[in-house]
Amino acid sequence: MQACLFYLFAALTLLCGVLVIANPFTRNPVTSAMFLVLTIVSLAGLFVLLHAFFLAAVQILVYAGAVMVLFLFVIMLLDLKEEERRKIKAGAGVLGLAAAGGIALLMIAVIRQSNAGVGLKPASAEGSTLDLGKRLFTDYALPFELISLVLLVAMIGTVLLSKKDLK
Amino acid sequence: MNLYLQYLTALAPEVIVVATALLVLVMDLVLVREKPFAQRVGLTGAIACMGCGLAMVWVELVPCSIHSAMLSVSPLTQWVKVPLLLLTIFAAVLSWNERFTRHAGEYFALLLLAAAGLMLLVSSESLLMIFVALELLSTSLYALAAFDKSGVASSEAALKYFLFGGMSAAFTLFGISLIYGIAGDIQLDVIATRLRGHPVEPVFYAALVMTLVGFAFKLAAAPFHLWAPDVYEGAPTPVASFIASGSKVAAFFVLARILLSAFPGARGTASLGGHLPGWAPLLMVLAVLSMVAGNVAAIVQTNVKRLLAYSAIAHAGYALLALLADRRHALSALLFYTITYAFTVLGAFAVVGVVEESGRKASLADFAGLSRRAPLLSFCMLVFMLSLAGIPPLSGFFGKFYVFTAAADTAPKLSLLWLVVLAVAASAVSLYYYLQVLKQIYAVAPAPASAWPRPALSARVAIVLLAAIVIVLGCVPDLLLGKISELLKSNSF
Repeated sequence: MQACLFYLFAALTLLCGVLVIANPFTRNPVTSAMFLVLTIVSLAGLFVLLHAFFLAAVQILVYAGAVMVLFLFVIMLLDLKEEERRKIKAGAGVLGLAAAGGIALLMIAVIRQSNAGVGLKPASAEGSTLDLGKRLFTDYALPFELISLVLLVAMIGTVLLSKKDLK
Repeated sequence: MNLYLQYLTALAPEVIVVATALLVLVMDLVLVREKPFAQRVGLTGAIACMGCGLAMVWVELVPCSIHSAMLSVSPLTQWVKVPLLLLTIFAAVLSWNERFTRHAGEYFALLLLAAAGLMLLVSSESLLMIFVALELLSTSLYALAAFDKSGVASSEAALKYFLFGGMSAAFTLFGISLIYGIAGDIQLDVIATRLRGHPVEPVFYAALVMTLVGFAFKLAAAPFHLWAPDVYEGAPTPVASFIASGSKVAAFFVLARILLSAFPGARGTASLGGHLPGWAPLLMVLAVLSMVAGNVAAIVQTNVKRLLAYSAIAHAGYALLALLADRRHALSALLFYTITYAFTVLGAFAVVGVVEESGRKASLADFAGLSRRAPLLSFCMLVFMLSLAGIPPLSGFFGKFYVFTAAADTAPKLSLLWLVVLAVAASAVSLYYYLQVLKQIYAVAPAPASAWPRPALSARVAIVLLAAIVIVLGCVPDLLLGKISELLKSNSF
């Protein structure tokens, strides 16, 4: 049952991910954004299978909910008709497909040959909020704080770049 | 509570730099908003330099050493932060007279946050910390590269830098996740102990290649160098100089840490005919491609910034040779080489910046006859160019000499000789394009009736100081090498 669900969600994630960037039927950015929502939701399904319930909930609330709404706002505010009309160049498409396919084949071959992670114990912590919070404020306090700096930099950069310079 | 205090004392220099960045932002907003621009830049820049200076003093005076799952602060990592802070101060001083932006506070704050990223990168112990510090550095640099909003070149450069950087960061993260899957940990020395005694899995090599992508991008090593020429040309000159100097030293140091302390068993060999898989052959491929592609492409450049970019690619190739050397010499050769290179390239960019200030572009023809009007500046450029080419009394020569002998000495003896021969040949080729710049400066007559650079005092002092550093470290390399080998003796990493 578990394995079944895993393959279902994994296949959904991959399929929707491909449809975000290369939808053969339409090149409408809004459709891409919608498929991104589906990708995120199926990823949340994978998190649930790993018992990371909080992460799954946050994934849907924050990414599929808040972030994607902002995405859609931006897409609808911008005039993206040009993007719709633009054709993918055949050469670039073939090259991209070849590169991605090559990497995928290589990874599959390599993973089949290895027995990585056999000696490892399964993770001890369940994905409850209590555990997560404890980890974040003890073992991972430093990277957690560092990410706030990264966000500060991103904020300063965005405000600065989007502001009109009055000369 | 104890843990937080421990982190706070161990990371005091970084905390000082970050606090200065916030102070600069607030000062610019509250105190000097209405003042003329020159005053704003002067004040915020001075605070930024003082913050870096304070952090440097702290590093020198307060010895600290901790080794935890996330952080490794040792005398060596603390010492490496000193040149990084010095480079930041120089970049800040050189920005004083630039007029590419009106947002002085944000500019210096981002520069300081990038410096904090460099320092954290140096003392990270886990792959997670390394990745986050790398992102802090990269994000600041993307924003800094786009600072010049008067033309499209800067935005285009930043966008290119951002897209390439994001893609290679994704690869690195994928690689790190695979390493976590294999070793079950992200702490560098724990990975080493977990991997010891097991045969190397094929998937580990895939992880290694992917992890290296992000670092090769940061080092601008071929074939991940495509962003470098456009970014060096399009970004504001002080930013380009910072990207070329500071971020390279830190990226090389952390790459050496990862490879030498987490994967010592997966080294492999790069000798001709006797390949064993591992990271050495990967670095060998990167080094050969960088040396060839960088030097060949630099020959045809007519823009000095692009020329410096391709020369930076070639220099990344030489420095990678140091990593292939035996453990005994690898780190000291690498540190000496990258630090002296960073000061040299910063100086060269400073001269280019001064020439650009007089309303010129950075093409070769704009340097024609510089020696007639600015003899001191020209002499400094001569020092930088000859040091980059590796001419004897200058530090570039000694750096190359040390790297090449260390690589040639690698056990089994002379197995890497072919690489060293290639590197020597490549640096002979490089002399051609460095001399092209000097020919314009010294031998070509200046174009009549054009504005000439009148560098501000701060820029002049900075350039002369950088030239002095390059000359002194070339004549007395022991000043730097003695310190490095003493530090390496006292602690393993």
